[in-house]
Amino acid sequence: MGINPIEYHPWKGERTAVNLRLYVIFRSVFRHKLSSIGVIVLMVLGFMLVHTFSLFTIILVSHDKLEGSDMTSYLGSGLFTVLSILLAAVVTSDLISEDLANRSFVLYFSRALKVRDYLVGKAAGALLVMSLFCVIPPVLIASVSIATQTGSDYGHSFEVLGETVLVGALMTLFFVPFGLMISSFTRRKSYAAVGTFMAFFGLTVVVEIFSQFSRGWRVISPIDSLSILFKWLYEGQVPSYVDKTALLLIVASLIIVPAVIVYFRMTREVVGK
Amino acid sequence: MLISLVRIVRSMAEEIAVGQERASGVNPIHISARDVTVSFGSVTALDGFTADIPRGIVGLLGPNGAGKSTLIKASLGLLVLDRGTISVGGLDPQTQSLQIRDFIGYMPEHDCLIPSINAVELVSYLGMISGMVSRDAIQRSHEMLDFVGIGEERYRPIKSYSTGMKQKVKLAQAIVHDPKLLFLDEPTSGMDPQGREEMLSLVTKMASSEKTIVVSSHILEDLERICDYAVIIDNGKLVRSGEMTTLLAGEEGVRSLTVRGSEQALSGYVRALEQVCQIVDRKDEAGEFTLLIRGCEDGKKVLRLAAENGVQVRSFRPERLDLEEVFLRAFRGGGRDGH
Repeated sequence: MGINPIEYHPWKGERTAVNLRLYVIFRSVFRHKLSSIGVIVLMVLGFMLVHTFSLFTIILVSHDKLEGSDMTSYLGSGLFTVLSILLAAVVTSDLISEDLANRSFVLYFSRALKVRDYLVGKAAGALLVMSLFCVIPPVLIASVSIATQTGSDYGHSFEVLGETVLVGALMTLFFVPFGLMISSFTRRKSYAAVGTFMAFFGLTVVVEIFSQFSRGWRVISPIDSLSILFKWLYEGQVPSYVDKTALLLIVASLIIVPAVIVYFRMTREVVGK
Repeated sequence: MLISLVRIVRSMAEEIAVGQERASGVNPIHISARDVTVSFGSVTALDGFTADIPRGIVGLLGPNGAGKSTLIKASLGLLVLDRGTISVGGLDPQTQSLQIRDFIGYMPEHDCLIPSINAVELVSYLGMISGMVSRDAIQRSHEMLDFVGIGEERYRPIKSYSTGMKQKVKLAQAIVHDPKLLFLDEPTSGMDPQGREEMLSLVTKMASSEKTIVVSSHILEDLERICDYAVIIDNGKLVRSGEMTTLLAGEEGVRSLTVRGSEQALSGYVRALEQVCQIVDRKDEAGEFTLLIRGCEDGKKVLRLAAENGVQVRSFRPERLDLEEVFLRAFRGGGRDGH
């Protein structure tokens, strides 16, 4: 207590609208993640292994226009997906698990905050961090490639650029709901991080076993399904063994189902009923 | 670029959104529960609970599992009621929970602080979630941490704090947005005597700024000192409630008589006294007899009989209870009207 401690006095300010309070959570998550060692290390590693390397190969080789196949080999490689999974695991691991461990939900929900806004705030912070790796570098590389192209078919190049934005957004979105779901199942962020990575890795192992019987099983692996989806987006072709509907359903369900589960888990946790 | 984007969005959020004027017209803040039933599976946490919690400092008493926390959660609108209604400051938590929570502060009993950040960060963060713009929240968090007695330690991570300091930070986060209604769940839990004293003094100071403060505590002595009103709950039902002065006053017409003397003299005195008044209760403590008697208000007979039996009267006054006795009587079902 100071020499002249402050006495209690009322606060005369005005409150912000309830709907915008999720922005406070979003900003806090974003700032916290940008100063996290794990995130910084993975970002640096990812930039070096995925983006910088591709930047050189795409730009240094003389090119007529930006080709979808170039971007497929850049973003459809397993390395980009694996690093995205790792980043998502690190980014989302503590978002809910730490609040569970600290029992700090009550601090949030004794205030005018909806479960939905809490989750949207957390997810938005994580998505912005993910986009720093998944959207911005590919878009920059595609833009640089367009700037250095020798041909005049800019229409096609900009089409590929648009597809790149879509691919980056999909990659950003793909792992975050799943990571949040795993984070809501445990009080330890290390378990959540390992759980998120291993869940996807486990699916890949399962696919390796079943794909010996039918290659169609490959769509269950997130690495394979994203790679196929990106090829479809960029080049308009899908391997003959892939059922397009099944592919879209699996990708959509890996985003939507975890989001729904985490919402209901949180509601149950908060209400306790 | 990103940072400036974040700044732009932030300033937009702060400027566009300064709309929601604090819920005005909700005074006086009080809680009114009517036939409230809340169950969790087969367990009924509140069972037809009916009570009015007036303005001032109100003690919420009851054993573990009595339904105190459920009542608080229901008042915050976090629970769906099976039956009944609750009104908080004239608003319905079932449909207007967000409005209600803007003028409620809650200090939970259990550890709930984020250990990796410091007190200023935590309190200002929660202030912003309560709707304060960042400048206000930071300034106010410093003021409230100073008010609760957290000095330079406010810049240390919370994980390094003692239990007492954590309690103070929990209080600071509960009052940072200047709520009109405060729920304090075991505010002195785990605190040393000096810390307890400070906490009670803080609660009293806050009450003087027109707040309704609902204090749930097992330390009845604390509640007795600071509360104006008490609500006793057991098994999800109201057992007893009333003004603290009324609860502690004892039954009208019953007086407490403490006498001292030899065993023979005392037994003779008690026999004689039984002829003229009704002895409600008696206690033998360290050679002193304390009797609760009814029907001898003027005391002349009592004193005369004491002199005749060679008994020394140590005190003779209207019955006055402590809260522990009120609490025990409530559970024994031995309460009398107004208690």
